[in-house]
Amino acid sequence: MSSPEDGAKAMPLEAAEKLILQWDSTASEDAREKMIFESERVEIDRYLLAVDEVRRSMSGVSLSDEDPRASSTIQIAMARLEDEFRNILITHTSPLEADSLAESTHSISESTYSFSESTHSFSESSTHHHPSDDHDVYGGDEAESSARRSSSGSINYRSTSSIREIDLVPAEAISDLRSIADRMISAGYMRECVQVYGSVRKSAVDANFRLLGVEKLSIGDVQRLEWDALEAKIRRWIRAARVCIRVLFASERRLCDQIFSGIETAIEDACFMETIKGPAIQLFNFAEAISISRRSPEKLFKILDLHDALMDLMPDIDTVFQMKTAESIRVQAAEILSRLGEAARGILSEFESAILREPSQVPVPGGTIHPLTRYVMNYISLISDYKQTMNDLIVSKPSTGSRYSGDPTIPDMEFSEFEGKTPLELHVIWITVILQFNLDGKSKHYRDTSLAHLFLMNNVHYIVHKVKGSPELREMTGDDYLRKLTGKFRQAAMSYQRATWVKVLYCLRDEGLHVSGGFSSGISKSALRERFKTFNAMFEEVHRIQATWLIPENQLREELRISISEKLIPAYRSFLGRFRSHIENGRHPENYIKYTVEDLETAVLDFFEGFPVSPHLRRRSQ
Amino acid sequence: MPATEYQGSFLSRISIRRNQVVSMDGNHEQELEELEIFQKNISERFSDLISDDSSSSSNSASSSEPFLSIAWVRKLLDVFLCCEAEFKAVLIMGRDPSLISKPPLDRLIPELFDRAVKALDICNAVMHGIDSVRQCQKLAEIAAASLEQRPLGEGQARRAKKALAGLLSAMGIDETSGGHKSAERSWSFGRRGGGGGGVSVTKDRGSGQSRASTWGVPKNWSAAKQIQVMSANLVAPRGAEASGLAMPVYIMSIVTVFVMWALVAAIPCQEKTGLATHFQVPRQLGWAQSMVWLHEKIGEELKKKEKKGASPVGLLEEIQKMEKLGQSLLEFSDGFQYPVPEEKLDEAAAQVADLTETCRRMEDGLVPLQHQIREVFHRIVRSRTEVLDVLDHAGKSSAPSV
Repeated sequence: MSSPEDGAKAMPLEAAEKLILQWDSTASEDAREKMIFESERVEIDRYLLAVDEVRRSMSGVSLSDEDPRASSTIQIAMARLEDEFRNILITHTSPLEADSLAESTHSISESTYSFSESTHSFSESSTHHHPSDDHDVYGGDEAESSARRSSSGSINYRSTSSIREIDLVPAEAISDLRSIADRMISAGYMRECVQVYGSVRKSAVDANFRLLGVEKLSIGDVQRLEWDALEAKIRRWIRAARVCIRVLFASERRLCDQIFSGIETAIEDACFMETIKGPAIQLFNFAEAISISRRSPEKLFKILDLHDALMDLMPDIDTVFQMKTAESIRVQAAEILSRLGEAARGILSEFESAILREPSQVPVPGGTIHPLTRYVMNYISLISDYKQTMNDLIVSKPSTGSRYSGDPTIPDMEFSEFEGKTPLELHVIWITVILQFNLDGKSKHYRDTSLAHLFLMNNVHYIVHKVKGSPELREMTGDDYLRKLTGKFRQAAMSYQRATWVKVLYCLRDEGLHVSGGFSSGISKSALRERFKTFNAMFEEVHRIQATWLIPENQLREELRISISEKLIPAYRSFLGRFRSHIENGRHPENYIKYTVEDLETAVLDFFEGFPVSPHLRRRSQ
Repeated sequence: MPATEYQGSFLSRISIRRNQVVSMDGNHEQELEELEIFQKNISERFSDLISDDSSSSSNSASSSEPFLSIAWVRKLLDVFLCCEAEFKAVLIMGRDPSLISKPPLDRLIPELFDRAVKALDICNAVMHGIDSVRQCQKLAEIAAASLEQRPLGEGQARRAKKALAGLLSAMGIDETSGGHKSAERSWSFGRRGGGGGGVSVTKDRGSGQSRASTWGVPKNWSAAKQIQVMSANLVAPRGAEASGLAMPVYIMSIVTVFVMWALVAAIPCQEKTGLATHFQVPRQLGWAQSMVWLHEKIGEELKKKEKKGASPVGLLEEIQKMEKLGQSLLEFSDGFQYPVPEEKLDEAAAQVADLTETCRRMEDGLVPLQHQIREVFHRIVRSRTEVLDVLDHAGKSSAPSV
């Protein structure tokens, strides 16, 4: 700051006093209208010189001799300077430019997959599901998971921080402000200076908050909002918080330094706190409100996003708010982070409970993939995308299941089988265990046991398919477990075959057809006719019914049909071959030999398509 | 560990109750006993708050905190924290968790949660209000420091006047003798009020600047309304319900609403009209007699303020003092003429000393008060979360995992 000694001629005390009185804003209209610091530089300097002169005259005088008039003059000068200070600040306060508000480090793509869009919720609504809707469940899933995979590579809120300070006030104004602050503070008017600074800057911060879309919501408001709406707000908050902390607050801090540093110890801190304490708390209040909202599964991923974003910001928060007086802000941020972690843990636990409790008892038509299965598998697939964060947060094993409590409502899981797995991995596996447990329960609601087996086969296969489709998920569960699951659905397939086909193929057996002795050539024609009739009826029934069943996965469907054919066709062919002549020699053979081998082969292709077929099979023969 | 973990040791002392085997027969009796103890403890704690007030300066052995002073409010919050801890023990520990999801609790617990959320918002608003009080404190300090100067000249008097005018205008008290009247009727620190100093307000660049969003709460949030809604469905359980868990829930709810109400009364908050009548403590409750007395006393003060037409600033004793002293010293500063007669100077000096003392108490007490309110905040959150967890896991025989 320019000292009156350089160059400018010293001002006599009387002139100084006169000048100051001239600019007393209570004294004249003129003084009120014009601002010193908007006048010519020479006027500004003169005034400052005058102030310095009066101050200097005071300092040389002992207190008891002090001219009360001098103190009055100083007070007038200080009041004036305060107004000037305020005016300069206000004049040069404008909202941040849009491009300053945009993040420079924006390559962070958020997970755009909104989990609330997925079809299932833990409710009965899943029954309106038509099996043929499922034909693209595998195709659809591919699109979904590939979209997620492309973003999962860059889902990281853990980017490197970048504090970006910008100059909020131009340099010339800064120097004027400094020269005022210096004088106010050395005259003992520091409090006034801090106060006027804080009030103007706080308005500025508020205005910028509004620009950034930082809302003032009470905790009550946040609890009342629908989660969809909150997701959008969280996204916006994350973007805004980054700018607030890294740009806005950092820049305000810099401004305090620019104006006040070197003048008085710790005054920059006081001014900074004055400016941003309220806004900072307001900013964090939203995140805090989210962290204490009621837990439900669909909230997990946005809460993880919020957690990661806040964690990413912590170093910057610690830097920007490093002064002792800002400790409560840092503490609050840490508390919120901790609560978000707790919320994530709680939601996972809630999710697991919900799977176990999921009550829908109306069986899914056609034995196809249950919406619960799809929901759960999508969910843990997404969890695997958030593996890094979740591994940090999930530190204890699943709380239920390791107890052999004998509780029939909870499956058992032997954790010692899964050595070396992280708690998160144990949870993921546990989730598939309880999913299957739930599905087992659901399968019992099918009256037809064949369908029950088919249902389990479909669903367990889907689990395997999803795990195989996600490298992270596969790594988490491990191939051993995958093999176990594979064995399970194959087992279910075999159970299905046994349940349906044993009795059908029983019609085509040799025993019981031969009659010893008598006139016929050893075959009981009536028994044979009975056999054919029974076989036809059974097969037609099975065909009619099981055509409406559905195996959505193409390969699985093919494999099962092939497996059926492999048993059915040779048996029928051989039966026909051996016994057709007996029927053809009798009356109305067409009533008994209704189908050719080709007919059966064609009919098998109808199985598990999820469509009803016309009641009469086409007859090739005759 | 942050404050969220503070009550760990306390709860581990209580947790031995989890191992109590409660027989079907003894269950009911034990419940009644628990209830009685709970009520007795609450009654005692609240009567402590009164005895502080009535025990005058003669008995210096007891820590007498002036009614509604910062120290008293801190004591009130301590009482709340104790009651809350005991309530949680009664509600959660050693009980079948599924009870919480059955009637009548299935209706009462959601109401409890709702009240908890409102209490949290009140805590936040009060935190903010305390910041406003600190602003006032700083203005008062300017005035006190100026008026302490000797010899006391006109400059100091004008400086004090400016600060005090700002102080009173921020409190919503219009004391300016002439010239500029503050248009703001509530706490606003965008501008220092006019006062006779005639600070140029014309340089205001848009009125938006002056009304800096000082509240940190949504525009239409009303503290009084929150209290009103919180107390709306407070109904004492009757008949069979009265002997179960519904009773402690009711008791704790009354305590919570009372404490929040008292906080709102003491500290500047947005929108307090009608606060005096928005909450009543049922007079017939035996354990609540102290609370009834306190409620009356605070209510009287509120009504007095409302009658005067003053915006209900905050009944906090230090604020009231600051207001009174501020007004008196403003008069003194306004009518200042050098030299001041000895007598008048002495009188002013005494008041200045008083003001300085009040500021000191604020300086010492307000930040700890904020910490404590934050503590209350954490506690309410934690309890709510724990009960929510128990609810979510109800039906399963396994213990809740947090």
